[in-house]
Amino acid sequence: MSYESPIRDQLVTGGKTYRDVTRDITRPLENAPSKGWWIGFSLSTLVLALWIGATTYTFLVGLGVWGLNKTVGWAFDITNFVFWVGIGHAGTLISAVLLLFRQKWRMSINRSAEAMTIFAVICAASFIVSHMGRPWVAYWPIPLPNAFGTLWVNFNSPLVWDVFAISTYFSVSLVFWYVGLIPDIATVRDRATTKARKFWYGFFAMGWTGSTRTWHRYEVISLILAGISTPLVLSVHSIVSMDFATSLVPGWHTTIFPPYFVAGAIFSGFGMVLTLLVIAREVMNYKNYITIEHLDAMAKVVMVTGTMVGMAYITEFFVAAYSGVEYEQYAFLNRAFGPYWWAYWTMMSCNLLAPQVFWSRKARTTPWFLFVMSIIVNIGMWFERFVIIVTSLHRDFLPSSWTMYTPTVIEFAILFGSFGLFFFLFFLFIKFLPSINMAEVKSIIPTHAHGDHDHGHSHDHNHDLAEKGALHGN
Amino acid sequence: METSKNLILGVYDNPDKTYSVTKKLISSGYSVYDVYSPFAIHGLDRVMGIKRSRLSVAAFLFAMTGLSLAVTFQVYVSYFDWQMNIGGKPSLHIPTYIPITFELSILFTAFGMVACFFIVNRMFWGKNADIMDIRVTDDLFVVAVDTKKSKADLGSLNQLLMDGGAIEVRERTKEL
Repeated sequence: MSYESPIRDQLVTGGKTYRDVTRDITRPLENAPSKGWWIGFSLSTLVLALWIGATTYTFLVGLGVWGLNKTVGWAFDITNFVFWVGIGHAGTLISAVLLLFRQKWRMSINRSAEAMTIFAVICAASFIVSHMGRPWVAYWPIPLPNAFGTLWVNFNSPLVWDVFAISTYFSVSLVFWYVGLIPDIATVRDRATTKARKFWYGFFAMGWTGSTRTWHRYEVISLILAGISTPLVLSVHSIVSMDFATSLVPGWHTTIFPPYFVAGAIFSGFGMVLTLLVIAREVMNYKNYITIEHLDAMAKVVMVTGTMVGMAYITEFFVAAYSGVEYEQYAFLNRAFGPYWWAYWTMMSCNLLAPQVFWSRKARTTPWFLFVMSIIVNIGMWFERFVIIVTSLHRDFLPSSWTMYTPTVIEFAILFGSFGLFFFLFFLFIKFLPSINMAEVKSIIPTHAHGDHDHGHSHDHNHDLAEKGALHGN
Repeated sequence: METSKNLILGVYDNPDKTYSVTKKLISSGYSVYDVYSPFAIHGLDRVMGIKRSRLSVAAFLFAMTGLSLAVTFQVYVSYFDWQMNIGGKPSLHIPTYIPITFELSILFTAFGMVACFFIVNRMFWGKNADIMDIRVTDDLFVVAVDTKKSKADLGSLNQLLMDGGAIEVRERTKEL
């Protein structure tokens, strides 16, 4: 039995032919960048400079330039770290989980979502390094034979697990992304008109010929990579959540954290994917590839995951009340009605209430509205991490050490600057690599089913050719 | 051992035609050396009689390698080499080894399997691609028939390829 893709709602509109796909998607790579690209790239470079400046200042002067104190030892740094790791999760979810579920709408968005994963994890890792304050000892969590006696790392610590989880996640995502890129890099190589392009794309295409034997193996490894990436992505955010959940701090010490963090990660990641794609489809003119149906599907994911995190917030409250542990109860009352009440209610309204508008199809299919919503989701999810981290720490068991945390300008600069780093990488990506997976998109362009049967509809073939405009070769 | 192959190429513009012509060629006794396409044509590998790749077995073996290395290393470090008393927690505590063991199994699987994929396809950075037709990564499909191995009459091959809807048929020698 062979797999036959049913002819369904068109995933690519505008009657595109294979050639059109190649031309449309390689256009930004082969032509001088547009004005919009230059504006975006320059702006993000400026913001990146701010990030470099603020981070360098932190390293030179020390962590004292941040608003941390003895009680609140983690604040913006870890909030930003969890925020960025969460953003990354949508890419793997789209490319791996949706591949396993045979959701073909993923095909025109998976490339850029995976790129987003990689860049978001780079941003996240930068916060891990900077929160150490002494980046030159950043290799200490790696179990190496060392000069301090035989002092190994503590394998009971979730922080050590996190080092393994994040680095595995980054490298496996990179491999997955690169393997997916090879056929498309070969396409660019074969179209190349300049020497430099021919050389570099030829170098990274690894001699790809499009042979069926290679394609066969390629499909096997894609499926396995998707199969291992799926539990990987779930494990990464579960382990991130254990950084908190295995401690004894009220508000952190809860078993609900792993699924709750994973849902939140998918929620925020899809928020970011929407932000990027709503812009990209306008600027790059990809409306026929990233259609309203794609936006609709993503908005549905946002709504479902937003409701899941909302349910987790309420469950936490209920469990705190039901547990009878007064510290736990206080932690939650303090979150909602204490000095950081504004952060809590921002989180609640952005993550639980706002996405409920997506019950309406009109809301799910209006691009500008989706863009606004995606920003709201990102703000909400950033505040979720802030609420979890700061409000739990600032008032725990010992009232004499209760205090407040106020971020400094430097911390804001690093947070804001990390968006510069992210968009800087993203703009380079859309200029130098095909931002839509051409090979996969070509495979879902309507064509007659080519299953294991003799074609009884040869009369359709002429129509088929006319539709593809493919009769006149090159 | 032969150092080159004489191929007859049929160039098509449609995956359906490529599929049916390949099927017809094979059933009439021609030897299809390979089919080149801009994307994977599902089912074509079976028609060509390509055996299911054993890369999945390789993946499993790499996973097991990662798993056993991770367990061995963690047990060695935290129990045999130097025990540390941190908060009175046991030094040999299997459940806490699970996350790292899991991550390393995944890491070994991904890298090992992809490395094997590159090796079996003889792909490496900077390799010069020996492509049948430059348009095969764009919009065309090429069926390559091995003339030496084909048992059927080569005279009617041209007709067969053209009947299948080929937009051009030509000869080519491929260095091995």
